[in-house]
Amino acid sequence: MGVIKILFKRLVTTLFSIFLSITIVFIVPRLVPGNPIETMLQQLYVEGQAFQLEQMVKEYEEAFGLRGSLLEQYFKFIVQTLKGDLGFSIFLFPTAVIELILRYLPWTIGLLLTAFILSWVIGTLIGLLAGWRESSRLMQITASFLVFIRGLPFYILALLLQFFFAYSLRLFPSSGAYSVGITVSLSLNFILDVMKHSFLPALCLVLGSVTGWFLGMRAMVINIKNEDFVKFAEAKGLRRSTVVWSYVFRNALLPQVTGLSLSLASVVGGAILTETIFAYPGIGTLINLSIRRLDYPVIQGCVLVMILSVCIANFVMDIIYPLLDPRIRYGEG
Amino acid sequence: MSVLRKLSFNAINIKAGRFLSNKWLCTGLTFFVVIIMISVIGVILFPSDYMRIGRFPLERPPSKENILGTDSMGRDVFFSLLMATEKSLLVGLIVAAVGTFLGAIIGFTSGYIGGIFDSITGVIIDFFISVPSLLFLILISALIKVMDIRQVALIIAIFSWAGAARGVRAQTLSLKERDFINVSKISGMNSMEIIAFDIMPYMAQWLSAHFINSFLGGILAESGLAILGLSAMNEMTLGMMLYWSITYNALMRGLWWWWGSIIAMLTLVFTSLYMMHIGLDKAIRKM
Repeated sequence: MGVIKILFKRLVTTLFSIFLSITIVFIVPRLVPGNPIETMLQQLYVEGQAFQLEQMVKEYEEAFGLRGSLLEQYFKFIVQTLKGDLGFSIFLFPTAVIELILRYLPWTIGLLLTAFILSWVIGTLIGLLAGWRESSRLMQITASFLVFIRGLPFYILALLLQFFFAYSLRLFPSSGAYSVGITVSLSLNFILDVMKHSFLPALCLVLGSVTGWFLGMRAMVINIKNEDFVKFAEAKGLRRSTVVWSYVFRNALLPQVTGLSLSLASVVGGAILTETIFAYPGIGTLINLSIRRLDYPVIQGCVLVMILSVCIANFVMDIIYPLLDPRIRYGEG
Repeated sequence: MSVLRKLSFNAINIKAGRFLSNKWLCTGLTFFVVIIMISVIGVILFPSDYMRIGRFPLERPPSKENILGTDSMGRDVFFSLLMATEKSLLVGLIVAAVGTFLGAIIGFTSGYIGGIFDSITGVIIDFFISVPSLLFLILISALIKVMDIRQVALIIAIFSWAGAARGVRAQTLSLKERDFINVSKISGMNSMEIIAFDIMPYMAQWLSAHFINSFLGGILAESGLAILGLSAMNEMTLGMMLYWSITYNALMRGLWWWWGSIIAMLTLVFTSLYMMHIGLDKAIRKM
């Protein structure tokens, strides 16, 4: 009973968040004084990339649903978004925004998912070790190094990694997701090439987010280690590994899972900039390209898709949590 | 009443001593003050002519005339760095002040009123915390070509209230139930007095740690926007310097004095702020 009630509550919250994000993305361009399409086209016109301004403004207004009262536009926007229709690109006109996004999104999801899972697993395990062997010299050095890194934003890590591994040592390519001229297929060659290109961006995201998991886990383990039930388990003569995994690790795990949804925001923000720096063909690079191309519909579509993805990812992680927490699973919490 | 106030001031003095004995806080603060002083004094001492495009030969490595060399537009890197640091710190200050203030008001009202209003605000706060604010900032800055760095800072501040709001809301909810608030109410203190003497002392410590965090977040957000080319293009902040060095591909062309000094300065600013944050956090937990 407890689980269903919690799931229902999470579902309502998620739906509300989705509604809120669509509303914000709808309102923001309309708060800006002047007609956004006209402003956009005017800039293109000045740069000599658009002709017959008035005719274009009319056509675009029709195509982007800027006709009718605000309320009509709003409902139309919600229905279209839920259908997956995000309008058209200005720069590459007949191309639908969703088509562009679907071309770039798999790269971002692949990169983010790999980095997110890796950093969580690595951070949690090293944190466990560092907490259990609190006084070990090596672990103390690791801890201070990671505290230092934690203060640095993703893009500084990205630039430093690019400098050391791509420029000085020339171990990895500095940009792109696969070599120019290689055929995109599911061959071993292509996969190895992609992994080589993704290594630095992924390492950057892992380094940037691993410290949070490490420090959180370490603090929890140090706390739990001194609890009576752990001392009792040791005194009872249980094996060392049983005490570590079933007593300490199991109990320190819950805050780590709660932290997942909180850290997602910073990793997604970092990924946008990291992709830009490594020219990795994900959503971040698409946003960067569209900013330079003055292609507002694409920027808006990217932002909306990213926000919705974060909301859905949070929902999924919230579902995992009650399955791990016995207090909620058995309805005692 | 006056005796009580005197007592609370004594308590503050003792706390100040505890803050000063905190290594993290002191180191961070020292670095931070040095950064501020160098950038402010440097900006006054140097002729502003050093920032003019084409003032010096392009891409000159460090020399006697230009301590940190010049960039691809013939500007002195060291002087640009001082200017940019000052501007970036201004952004951080505006974001931290406005964001924390907004957040404190929203969080406090929400926690104090309670009921359905509070639950709705709670969901909205959670939404803004769980979604990267960089996305909203991109959405706005891509439309408005902002020219003034203070406007950029204000836009960032509008989207950085959620953290403060959540903390203040949680504390208000817990403080509301404490006995000493009820005692103050019965003894005839009005709400303003209760907020000023009963609630603020608790909030102030937490808010100060949050202020530093938000200061850091503001500089981070502005530099992130700048890297995407969405900050005030004609002003010099640390982020804009990074933008130009990336645009001119300084890293791959071996102009180490240019991109290296920007990264070093950013690292120094972020590390000192982060140390202050850790220090304040530790000092609060000890109490």
